Amino acid sequence: MKVTSGKAGIHGWGGYVPRYRLPTKEIARVWGWPDHQYKGLNVSHKSVDGPDEDSTTMGFEAAYNALLRAKIDPSLIGAVFFGSESKVYAVKPSATLIAEMIGATPETMASDLEFACRAGSEGLRASLALVSSGMVKYALAVGSDTAQAEPGDVLEFTASSGAAAFIVGPAEGAAAIVEYSYTYVTDTPDFWRRAEKPYPRHGEGFTGEPAYFAHIMGAVKGLFKKTGLKPEDFDYAIFHQPNGKFPVRVAQRLGFTYEQVERGLVTPMIGNTYNASALLGLVRVLDVAKPGQRILLAPFGSGAGSDAYSIIVTDEIVEKQKLAPALDDYINRKLEVDYATYTRFRRILTMLARG
Amino acid sequence: MVLARWWRTRIPRYRLIGAQCKSCGRAHYPPRKACPYCGSTELEQVMLPRRGILESYTVVQSIPGDTRFQAPIIVGLVRLENGVRLVAELTDVQPEELKLGLEVEATMRRIREDGDNGTIMYGLKFRPILGKS
Amino acid sequence: MVYVSKVGMVKIGRHYEKSPRDLAFEAVREALADADIDSIDYLVVASSLTYMQSPQLDLAAYIGSSLGLPVKSALAVEAGENSGLAAIEVAVNLIRSHAAEKVLVIGVDKLTDYPSGPTYEMLEALYDTESDAIYRIGHAAPLAMLMRIYMEKYGIDRNTLAYWPAMMHAHAKENPYAMLRFAIKPEKVTTAMPIADPITLLDAYPLGDGAAAILLTSEDQVGDHLARIKEVAGAVGMPSIALRDDPLMLEHVAKLSNELNLSEEKVDVIELHDNFTIMGLLLLESLGLAPRGKAAELVAAGYFDVDGEGPLVNASGGLKARGHPIGATGVYMVAEVALQLAGKFPGVKRPGAEKGLAVGVNAHGSSTRIVVMESV
Repeated sequence: MKVTSGKAGIHGWGGYVPRYRLPTKEIARVWGWPDHQYKGLNVSHKSVDGPDEDSTTMGFEAAYNALLRAKIDPSLIGAVFFGSESKVYAVKPSATLIAEMIGATPETMASDLEFACRAGSEGLRASLALVSSGMVKYALAVGSDTAQAEPGDVLEFTASSGAAAFIVGPAEGAAAIVEYSYTYVTDTPDFWRRAEKPYPRHGEGFTGEPAYFAHIMGAVKGLFKKTGLKPEDFDYAIFHQPNGKFPVRVAQRLGFTYEQVERGLVTPMIGNTYNASALLGLVRVLDVAKPGQRILLAPFGSGAGSDAYSIIVTDEIVEKQKLAPALDDYINRKLEVDYATYTRFRRILTMLARG
Repeated sequence: MVLARWWRTRIPRYRLIGAQCKSCGRAHYPPRKACPYCGSTELEQVMLPRRGILESYTVVQSIPGDTRFQAPIIVGLVRLENGVRLVAELTDVQPEELKLGLEVEATMRRIREDGDNGTIMYGLKFRPILGKS
Repeated sequence: MVYVSKVGMVKIGRHYEKSPRDLAFEAVREALADADIDSIDYLVVASSLTYMQSPQLDLAAYIGSSLGLPVKSALAVEAGENSGLAAIEVAVNLIRSHAAEKVLVIGVDKLTDYPSGPTYEMLEALYDTESDAIYRIGHAAPLAMLMRIYMEKYGIDRNTLAYWPAMMHAHAKENPYAMLRFAIKPEKVTTAMPIADPITLLDAYPLGDGAAAILLTSEDQVGDHLARIKEVAGAVGMPSIALRDDPLMLEHVAKLSNELNLSEEKVDVIELHDNFTIMGLLLLESLGLAPRGKAAELVAAGYFDVDGEGPLVNASGGLKARGHPIGATGVYMVAEVALQLAGKFPGVKRPGAEKGLAVGVNAHGSSTRIVVMESV
């Protein structure tokens, strides 16, 4: 398959999932939910960050894994974007922390982006633009979240923790070239968190049709229209995964098969990692993808917007797959915790969180 | 409020940078201005290997109240692949999984927080090697 | 020559109602109760946690002006757990250099002014706060790791290591100044609450407050002296157990011991730094008073007991049971050895003792000091 366009691509990718898992049936036990009320979400466990982890530490490890695969001098990274809705500081960039930790400082751009679950993807698009324009040689895009959900809310069954990162560089030498990308946004209040509030609110059913489905389908159809590509041109299709059900349904509606979606589905195993959700799907696909395969990636963020990317895998991927841990190494490293331990780790026991 | 004290030591803590003595050839961590082995001030900073083995460990029970949510604190004596030893916290490990000779690797974690309204000190801790635990 | 003329000690315990100044006052009053002293040339104060706790700076001056006794000059010395012996070293050198003839040394610290959590957090500063102590190591963690290596390397089981605390408690039972005046059975040590495994609560010193005072004088000063200070010497060790080639060997202690010929000469009584069981054993081995890997077995066999073949070790009950008010402990040690050499120690005694040692370290051994004393 011939690459038709794309000046930039992915030189390194990396994921991170914390060790701890909370079974959704344990959440149901605590809040007295019958099976039928949550089984439809198709999420068996959610990953829980350990007591010394946060969106910065997870984002760092994903970025470090991406760097191992990119095999570049980190000082050549000219931009670091950190997308999260669980930043450890409301004011003070996490991007500078990660840039310093990996050795990209001081000659680099660095900023944190916020767009609900889509900020990491916006960082990826911005990275592609900066590299394509020649303004920077390499850029790092990180999506990382220790997702918040109010205890007892349906969101608590899925909101989990994880990070994904990509080192974007010139098409030459890339493991996967981004042929084309497209973004579709509107002002749609499906999910939000007011400043100073600890937990987000959401519009229940309103998060579905007018938000998730309308924007992802708008973006993917926009990409199809601009490029002439069709579902059958893709080996893999990855969508934002707020639960295990929506990505399968949106794939069907767009004309993709379950086989195209399956590899990139991580939420059923570890829950919704928010800014890392669709991006971890891409990490898991890149871990096994073969040269010449084409990938559709469509992240979504509330508020609302979606991106659609068409990505072509190159020969470079084979060697890079071995240079860092695979996402499944993290997914398989699991230790179940009960709800009480989860509240301790997550500092939901607020009286203990006071220094 | 802790600011400059944590800030000025961040680079070795973030990147596992030690110092190698040009005189006696031995390396140490964190980097000091003079070699602790021979006293030479001819040192160069080096990236240390991120993997090693556990030479000793302990599960600390008596810890300050503000870190209760992290209990138990597990501390290890780690010998890195190049022979450099360091004392560091272990993480992502249960007390019953600890054993002498356990293979460990560096991972970025929160080390300390200056209360709930101050800065956060990040740095490397060690965990069982991914896929080997 | 420098002489230990007078000593005074406060029973170590939870003195909630007394400030460091109050405790210092009591120790000095006891020391000078029957002395005909109208002024002090120099006051040297040993304290460690006071600077973090009270907090109080120029501590020696504030204590000095509260004693009801003219003090010409005052200075505080801080060397962590080794502060007490450091103050003795400074005082001895003031007299040797003829800068002073009558020097009062006070060691004082309180460990009960704060709950245990914040106290252990402050005690982390005994270790290198630019390396090991950036982590939550408390006081025990590095020594717990040494204990595990010791057991593994020499194949010694936990129960053999339990005889040290049992011996300390047996001694403290007879010492009116000790904090923990009760006997314990070795088997209780192993099953006690873990502090930092394999260290249990019964391997650890108790959190207590205390103060001790010593009047050191030159030979020109008349009076009945308790003992003579022959040597006092210090050494600096590696800042972390991680930097020692052999973590179980305190090289600087061994070197100092050789310089002082300690293994050659007969020593009758020793007060030794045992913040945790393992440190007592490592010091005996590093000093050359026990073969490597054999100290625990010798202790279990009663070698260092009052009727044992070796020197009588920690007749006071040691840090373990006499107590360990951090910066004050070294002053207690020198007072206790002086009383032993004068035949006046009010507890377990080695009659006819002629030569004694006080050996202190900080933390894992960041510094050490040895005071060699003789009977007069």
